[in-house]
Amino acid sequence: MDAEALQSIVATNQWGAIWPEILLGCLAVVLLFVDLFTKSRGVITVRIAIWSQVLLLVFLLGRFVFGSASGELGSHYFSGMILQTASTEWARLFFLFASICVCHIGGVYLASRKLAKVEFYHIVMIITAGLMLLAQANDFLLFFVVLETVTIGFYILVAYARHSRFSLEAGLKYLVMAAFSSAIMLFGIVLLYGVAGNPNLPMTASMPLNFDQLAAFIAADDGSIANRGNLMVTVGAALVLIGIAFKIGAVPFQIWVPDVYQGAPTPVTAFLAVASKAAGFIVLFLLLRGPFADLDFLWVPLLTVIAVLTLLFGNIAALGQRNVKRIMGMSGVAHAGVLLLGVLAAQQVDWAYKAVWFYLFVYALASFAVFTVMAHVAPQEDSDQSLERYDNLIRRQPLLGTILIIGLGSLAGIPPLAGFVAKLLIFVAAFQAELYTLLGVALLGVVLSIYYYFAWIRAAVMKHPFVEDSETAEIPSPTFGSKVFMITLAAATIVLGVYQGMFAIGG
Amino acid sequence: MIALESYILVAGLLFAIGAFGVLLRRNTLILFMCLELMLSASILGLIAFSRYNATAEVAMMSGNLLVLFIIAIAACEVAVGLAIIVTLWRRQQTVDVSELTALKN
Repeated sequence: MDAEALQSIVATNQWGAIWPEILLGCLAVVLLFVDLFTKSRGVITVRIAIWSQVLLLVFLLGRFVFGSASGELGSHYFSGMILQTASTEWARLFFLFASICVCHIGGVYLASRKLAKVEFYHIVMIITAGLMLLAQANDFLLFFVVLETVTIGFYILVAYARHSRFSLEAGLKYLVMAAFSSAIMLFGIVLLYGVAGNPNLPMTASMPLNFDQLAAFIAADDGSIANRGNLMVTVGAALVLIGIAFKIGAVPFQIWVPDVYQGAPTPVTAFLAVASKAAGFIVLFLLLRGPFADLDFLWVPLLTVIAVLTLLFGNIAALGQRNVKRIMGMSGVAHAGVLLLGVLAAQQVDWAYKAVWFYLFVYALASFAVFTVMAHVAPQEDSDQSLERYDNLIRRQPLLGTILIIGLGSLAGIPPLAGFVAKLLIFVAAFQAELYTLLGVALLGVVLSIYYYFAWIRAAVMKHPFVEDSETAEIPSPTFGSKVFMITLAAATIVLGVYQGMFAIGG
Repeated sequence: MIALESYILVAGLLFAIGAFGVLLRRNTLILFMCLELMLSASILGLIAFSRYNATAEVAMMSGNLLVLFIIAIAACEVAVGLAIIVTLWRRQQTVDVSELTALKN
């Protein structure tokens, strides 16, 4: 390779393009040092963690809304490894927002427990930086490295409550299942790499791991040989999609969800339910609209079957649960089914893409509200959260009860809350895309979901006849900051149910 | 010279042995070895493809690069995974998956 070609490659290495991720990584390291030199037992570090991320979020939001970033959008960096578009900016905002919420819930959770404090925020911020990069990945090398950074961070977080056998067991189960899915995905990547670099096929890619080159390779068709029909291409793509199905918890790859959601500490469950699932869907869009765009004969039937099973299984399995973390896990599987419906609709109806984004945001708002309440109500043994614990919550802690009702109402899709509009948008998109069978299954799922969400709400607003007041544990009042946080989430849920204007931009 | 197909066959076999090991074995340490076996299968496949697909014009280096990253990632995974397994052993005195049944509805 001559010096000029090398120069042109080096010129694309613009570190300024990924400064939010770099800054987040540096902040995470700074946190460790702050904790080393202060004796505050985590009070200062959680404030630094949250407020520095809020500042970053406000700055990115301002840059996004007022359009000073528009000049850089749609550009490649690092020899085509990173592709930044308007939707990667959305992803950055989304993951940063999720990180702030998780740090806050983590603060609530850690305040009453004898666990390491600062390491939690450190790992959350590293994972967030990884997730932000994952949305911008345009090359399987970066994609896999970042995905594994995120996954290994989650291993630690799931087993974070290391004195609890539940947390450790969940950590082990998550470790085995996530490593298994990553290995499957990696083998798919290897097959795609091998076939796309084959010099004997039409259009050989010189860098087969690059998404653009892979897309061009799969689309290539010289009349006699069509690459999309190649066995290695289809098997490779199917293995990669199976790996992603594990991440989003779609049936039949959801077996890890209930156990891991129950055993993981509540803030980590929230992080898994929102950020990890959103990352799966962002990656799914990235691949289906990029390299796998010409393989729709493969993934449309595959995802249709998965979506039907996911919608049915998630909702039916949630019906019988008594542990609220398992309910959130199973209903999270059902929400993944609705999102898959949106992904399939986006194949024919272009605006369904935005509907999926809107759904992810609304799901994040409502989920974080519910998980914050859960972190407040949880007993010392975090995985043991039964419905009975919520008995008469609305009178014992009126604010927690109200927030819980708003959050669960939005998840169930009750008007005028945002969850209703989000579901409606996806269903309208599915209707326009003529996915009638899937739509019917999804509607049935909504009816079922009302049953288990309202069983929870009923526990919170009614007094159980056989439970004495003395038997219910004392629930401490939330701090002022936590109250403001929960009211903000609930207010955003109500406002987005009435007015969705801000989602008209970008996307 | 050994044909590319032989390498891919071995890689596929390694991957299948690893995958079935993860699904069928109950000892956590053996599960872990099987996971590493699956990663090794991918490494073998990447190297074989990189070597055989390279021509005079195209060096086909990105696969070799990915191998280095996979090795690093596998090391991280083992570090975290063994830490979890050791902590679990200290608490439960077992690393058998079928005896880990605390998480039930």
